[in-house]
Amino acid sequence: MSISGQNISALPFAETITEEVAPRSASFRVPGRLLGAIVPAAGIVLWELLSRFGIFPPNALPAPTVIAQTVIDLARTGELWRHMGITLWRIVVGFALGATLGTLVGGFTGHITLARKLFDPLLQSLRNIPSMAWVPLFLLWLGIQESSKIGLIALGAFFPVYLNLSSAMSHVDPKLIEVGRVYRLSGFQLIRRVILPAALPEYIIGLRSGLGLAWMFVVAAEIMGASRGLGFLMIDGQMTGRASVILASVILFAILGKGTDFILELAGRRLLRYKTQ
Amino acid sequence: MSRAAQNNTLQLQSVSKSFGSNGSTLTVLRDIDLSISDGEFICVVGGSGCGKTTLLRILAGLELNYTGSVRLAGAPVKGPGLDRGLVFQEHRLLPWLTVEQNIAFGISELPAEQRAAKVRHYVELVGLKGFEHSYPHQLSGGMAQRVAIARALAGHPQLLLLDEPFGALDALTRIRMQQELLRIWSLQRTTMILVTHDIDEAIYLADRIVIMSPRPGTIKRIIDVDLLRPRDRTSFLTTQMRQSIYREFFANEEIPEDYEI
Repeated sequence: MSISGQNISALPFAETITEEVAPRSASFRVPGRLLGAIVPAAGIVLWELLSRFGIFPPNALPAPTVIAQTVIDLARTGELWRHMGITLWRIVVGFALGATLGTLVGGFTGHITLARKLFDPLLQSLRNIPSMAWVPLFLLWLGIQESSKIGLIALGAFFPVYLNLSSAMSHVDPKLIEVGRVYRLSGFQLIRRVILPAALPEYIIGLRSGLGLAWMFVVAAEIMGASRGLGFLMIDGQMTGRASVILASVILFAILGKGTDFILELAGRRLLRYKTQ
Repeated sequence: MSRAAQNNTLQLQSVSKSFGSNGSTLTVLRDIDLSISDGEFICVVGGSGCGKTTLLRILAGLELNYTGSVRLAGAPVKGPGLDRGLVFQEHRLLPWLTVEQNIAFGISELPAEQRAAKVRHYVELVGLKGFEHSYPHQLSGGMAQRVAIARALAGHPQLLLLDEPFGALDALTRIRMQQELLRIWSLQRTTMILVTHDIDEAIYLADRIVIMSPRPGTIKRIIDVDLLRPRDRTSFLTTQMRQSIYREFFANEEIPEDYEI
């Protein structure tokens, strides 16, 4: 703020005002996203300090830098990629399987009222079984190998996809369906040109919650019985008393979960651009 | 009025329609006889419950369980068809399609370049050039209804059915849309049947006004509107006609002098 007296009179009024106000309001001009990062950042710094000075027991809650170092070490030995790779592979295969089944069953029950009346109550009640409750049964049925884990993840992904698609398709605005009838659309044409596009927003929400549940179920599956994967890495960290490994796995789960959801969010936003344009 | 038989686009003969619900039946339309010539503009006026929308839905092929006969160019109406276009009170555009795609909705079987040419023609006809790539939620009510009219016309129907198309618009937009519709009609010469409860709208637009009375819905009177277009909404003749129609609905009641839309 170094505007000399004679310069001020030469400046247009508005400019003088902004010059005066700008410094005072600067702290409020931080974008919202940065604003939301302040508290976590401060928390991490505080955590780091408290761990460094031994106030937090380092073997129970190691410093963030120690966790970061653990991740780097795991990456260097190649262990990290092995565990992350297998977890991601399980998620992709399990989610693809569950979402496909959810889409087929959801589409079927969403379009045919009789099918919905027959199957929906059963599926609705199965949905309420907690994820962990399935694990022993799946291990018994499908063995300790990949298939039981994939099956469990698929099950997790199935329900939200099924539920959202089925309900969205059965609730399409009858007025829009009538437009389809006026233009002599029926059967597959009506589904493709009216019902599916109308159900798409809810379907995408279903896919995203299905993916979220797939991540929950992969943790359950890998904790209960696995020799590879991030869930196994957590159990391994617990067995060998390495809290930094557990925390590293937790953070990796968070990053991967958010990352895969982001992909779906982007795809959804592209498909639904008509809403935001 | 002599209307040659071969000139008649649409023939309705003793059309009746009842809705039945657990034992009791409600007659919505009874013995509707009407013949409409090619290129005519018909307005059907009546209060709520007079069956005017049901009548339009029968013509559109959306209501099928009626008695009597409905023939379009000699052929009985057995269901929806591209020879009839339908405009609803709400625009009913598909929200995920652009203006262009909505207009093309009913003509998807045409080859691409023909379709594009038609879309271009109707976009221009309804005055929406520049909005081809907009989505319905970005349009005003009047603009959306223009798209709906273009969509209904794109299949080149013999008959355009309009179910209170401007009922949801504000009064000024409604007047502008009536002028637009008349302009489109004079260019396309599509036979139009417009259902409305707005007497002034009917007088402004119609060649003939079909007045319906409720419970059960019957045709009470058919009025020829022999006024030159464009019609002056406030002229003496218009006012006289309004009074005579007004009396059909409210016999023996004084008409307020300043009755306006």
